[in-house]
Amino acid sequence: MTDNDNEAVEVVDDDVAEAEAADTDAETTEAETTEEEVAEAEEAGAEAEEAPAADEADAEEAEEPTFDEDVMPDDEADLLIPVEDYLGAGVHIGTQQKTKDMERFIHRVRDDGLYVLDVSQTDSRIRTAADFLANYNPEQILVTSSRQYGRFPAKKFADAVGARARTGRFIPGTLTNPDYAGYIEPDVVVVTDPIGDAQAVKEAITVGIPVIAMCDSNNQTSNVDLVVPTNNKGRRALSVVYWLLANETLDRRGTDQVYALEDFEAEV
Amino acid sequence: MSQSEQRHARQCVSCGINISGMSAATFDCPDCGTEVSRCAKCRKQSNLYECPDCGFMGP
Repeated sequence: MTDNDNEAVEVVDDDVAEAEAADTDAETTEAETTEEEVAEAEEAGAEAEEAPAADEADAEEAEEPTFDEDVMPDDEADLLIPVEDYLGAGVHIGTQQKTKDMERFIHRVRDDGLYVLDVSQTDSRIRTAADFLANYNPEQILVTSSRQYGRFPAKKFADAVGARARTGRFIPGTLTNPDYAGYIEPDVVVVTDPIGDAQAVKEAITVGIPVIAMCDSNNQTSNVDLVVPTNNKGRRALSVVYWLLANETLDRRGTDQVYALEDFEAEV
Repeated sequence: MSQSEQRHARQCVSCGINISGMSAATFDCPDCGTEVSRCAKCRKQSNLYECPDCGFMGP
């Protein structure tokens, strides 16, 4: 490949990245807007019902979090972080589409049509993925993210656990073409979105290595060996999931290093 | 390892077929570490697999 080719690839990459960023922004804004609308509607409904009630009761309700708390079957499940933190980051927010593959990770459907992922399963799968990754040599782990919002957390995760990251456009041949300068031979691949990172999944299949994928309610789990059900479109959701995965992986290795959530949050 | 044990180790945990080719994956069970093999077809079709030792259900 010549230098000109490289430049062309970078230009295309930037264009794609911008388009994806716009898409992601739009999706995120839409999700947040709908969530806010539902929250407002619920608050309005609650106020209308309890109008005759005492002022003290109203004051107490005003202090309660506006999160919809019905996000898992067992309310007393032991989670890595408080459920409010998961809800605050929107880890549980799915899409308005669902696939048969992801049905078992979906807890319910909201009034606005958004599917709600089971947070306890997300939590459980993060632990499982950490167990899984802890068995591998850190340098043999590859993390990929073509999504704009997943790039920073993916890079940070790779730094934290000593893995390799390929963010942005995944150059075809990275895992399959030994003549390519950036050719690597990882033992396991972690992808942020099986749709966006389809090339990485495809090459992982070609070379026969396991794939861990962050899957939303609209993803198919074809060629994925371990699903981490989560909102893979939100900035904060991806930060929280990668942060937890990094800390859990480090914990499994017996290191004392602990990262803060702020380390994984990209600037807007 | 005997010949029969080798055959067992290369069988898909979902469908039981003898595994051949590069598209299949062999990895340690995420929960217990037992070796799990999945054939290319079961991976592509996203067939559920169950660890023979701990019962972990994937993917």
